[in-house]
Amino acid sequence: MEIKLKNLTKKFPGDPKKNIKDTIAVNDLDIEIKDGELIGLLGPSGCGKSTTLYMIAGLKEPTDGEIWFGDEDVTHLSPEKRGIGLVFQNYALYPHMTIYKNVSFPLTNLLVDGPVIDKLTVRYLDEINILKDPAKIVDVIVNSVDKDKAEEERVIEYHPAIRAIINSFKTTQYIAKDLFKLELHLCENPEEVQNKATQAITVLEGKIEKRKKLFQTFKKDINEKGEITKDGEVVVKKHKLSSDEIDYLVRDASRLVQIDNLLDRKPSELSGGQQQRVAIARALVKKPRVLLLDEPLSNLDARLRIQTREEIKRIQQETKITTIFVTHDQEEALSICDDIVVMNEGVEMQKDHPQEVYRNPHNLFVAKFLGTPPINIFKGVARGNEVYVGDEKILVTSTDLGNRDIYVGIRPEGFLLGNNVEKVLTINIKQIVTMGRDMTLIGSHNDFDGEEIKIIIDSDIPVENGNNKFALRRNKVFLFDSLTNERIYFKD
Amino acid sequence: MESKNNWKAWLYLAPVIILMSVFTFYPLINTIGISFLKNYNYISQSSDGFTFDNYGIVLGIKGITRFGHTTYMKDVIDYAIPNTLIVTFVTVPLSIIISLMISIGLNSIKFFKRIFQTIFFMPYVTNAIAVGMVFTVIFDRNGLFNYLFQFLGTSMGQAWIDMGASREKAMFALCVYIIWHSLPYKILIFLSGLQNIDQQYYDAAKVDSTPKWKVAWRITVPLLSPQILYVMITSFIGAFKEYSSVVGLLGQPGTSSGSKNMYTVVYYIYDTISANNVHYGSAAAVLLFLLILVFTFIQMYVSKKRVHY
Repeated sequence: MEIKLKNLTKKFPGDPKKNIKDTIAVNDLDIEIKDGELIGLLGPSGCGKSTTLYMIAGLKEPTDGEIWFGDEDVTHLSPEKRGIGLVFQNYALYPHMTIYKNVSFPLTNLLVDGPVIDKLTVRYLDEINILKDPAKIVDVIVNSVDKDKAEEERVIEYHPAIRAIINSFKTTQYIAKDLFKLELHLCENPEEVQNKATQAITVLEGKIEKRKKLFQTFKKDINEKGEITKDGEVVVKKHKLSSDEIDYLVRDASRLVQIDNLLDRKPSELSGGQQQRVAIARALVKKPRVLLLDEPLSNLDARLRIQTREEIKRIQQETKITTIFVTHDQEEALSICDDIVVMNEGVEMQKDHPQEVYRNPHNLFVAKFLGTPPINIFKGVARGNEVYVGDEKILVTSTDLGNRDIYVGIRPEGFLLGNNVEKVLTINIKQIVTMGRDMTLIGSHNDFDGEEIKIIIDSDIPVENGNNKFALRRNKVFLFDSLTNERIYFKD
Repeated sequence: MESKNNWKAWLYLAPVIILMSVFTFYPLINTIGISFLKNYNYISQSSDGFTFDNYGIVLGIKGITRFGHTTYMKDVIDYAIPNTLIVTFVTVPLSIIISLMISIGLNSIKFFKRIFQTIFFMPYVTNAIAVGMVFTVIFDRNGLFNYLFQFLGTSMGQAWIDMGASREKAMFALCVYIIWHSLPYKILIFLSGLQNIDQQYYDAAKVDSTPKWKVAWRITVPLLSPQILYVMITSFIGAFKEYSSVVGLLGQPGTSSGSKNMYTVVYYIYDTISANNVHYGSAAAVLLFLLILVFTFIQMYVSKKRVHY
């Protein structure tokens, strides 16, 4: 689903009596998100990214502007009508429900428009389908019991074999229980298995006939797909999902996020990463048009964070669902998003591909916000084509910049030492930290805007404390206007 | 270290321990002792020795023989215990349900929230006897209740608590009075519990298009279950001890159809003092204690599966 935000604005009213001004959380935001894209809203806390997300979700009403899902204006639609899945920062799993109940909860409220099916007929039809290859059932049951020894210590809802059947045949617990009760695995030889399965199929076919007859007494019928028909036409109306359909969807979503072995537990028995996956399953189970994630990784420890963000990427790619991901962690956003929107004080600063945002920042804020260690900002002066920091001419530009004060941003990796380069900028190095391949130089300069200069260079190059003159990589130097903070020069 | 400072701890605790010993622990044990004494006289502190009969007499199984006549005391078994049970099993569930609905409502309104909270909390700080007086006006023959509920079949001049009222009518008025008077405390507890429930659960439910009744029943009530259990146990105990409300509303333990038919167990216990029958009162107190103990255990057991902390 394509998402368009048009002039989206959110004002929180202040109190004139107490001299509290209005807070503009989101200011005139225009974003277009393509179908199936994973987009990251990145910015420091308080920049309005979560507010934007909640407005897209419908939990907050925009003051101004429009939100479009495809061709539909959803600006004033209530959240439940938007078809979104939302993962909260602290997951908001219902603590008193099991994981199964948590994941199935959205489905129990859902009204779907479509052909009405007869639950039992569909169940019998599916069972017949699976019973056509009875050897496989026996195989699944026999193999499952051995594997799940560790699980037996826990009191689980049902036999491990039933879970194995659910997963192997991608079916529901009801069907799995029925199949397990046939006790095909207790037969002595393959012929007996085959006979028993054939018998079971006959019984099921008889049951289907009975269902048909039952419906015929109400002047309805059931077709070969298990759909209810009336006067030869399939009955279509809004209806709730049956327990079988719910079970099927819950199992499907749990397999996707790999929590299918945790369904009978309570959220408190799960680790943070597992809870996170449950929250994603709960958001995905109703097949939303848009998946919204609010700082989904901030409650996880470092190792899990990396693992889970890969997981989110995988799930997003498998489901191809348009996803919006809010984070204040640049690494998270850079590593998994297709596109990043950098926000500050409610305003979109830049929207671009992750690497592009780093390589080519459009303004001072984006340059400062992205990159570790952060970019070094010097106060400089532009005189026509020449750029000065202090007394040193560091750059000659191809365009005339006029005479004005500027900020010169240089990435830590933008400094060079060596013999064959033109050295332009003198920095007083105070400390040298060598870390394997790279070396971090910490230094100072009179015109530096910040605490300390950080420079990363190859550790093979000999450096001494004190004044060093550095050459600069042209594509790591950015010039910003000192008043507008917009970038005025960058050489690719 | 720990043992050295122990005496200090005891010193700090001493005022409470001494007061509790004199006014709680000693009377508690003494009550059990007295309940096994025959013809105990609490003025002279004398008795005719050990006996189990007090229990039998209180429960109306054993008769009292005086001057050759054997009489059976049926007030407790006929009125006090049934009344107490009626009061408990009518007022506790009803008041919990009503206060739960009021607090959920109060929690979801935005305007006048504070004012309504104050209004609903008023009865709590109002004196029980004053409330009783107001209710006597409401349930008067020519009172508000008869006037307002005429469409439900009440008629002016009908007695609820005055002379001529039946036991059922008086019991109804009593239950209304108790429920009304017990609401504010429960609302207070529930409101504080509701305010601690994370808003995100409701946002999540909203996104999942959960109907309002389902949010209340499947999310709010389970998340409020610790408070509900607390309120349930304390109000069960409170209802078993109901006494002041009968005094406040009726001023006497009976109606026209029986001078003792509005007895509650605690009312009976207090009445035994004036008749110098403290040994019966003690026996009744021990029985009440056992009753409360059993019910509390049942509640704790049942709630284990239903309460989510």
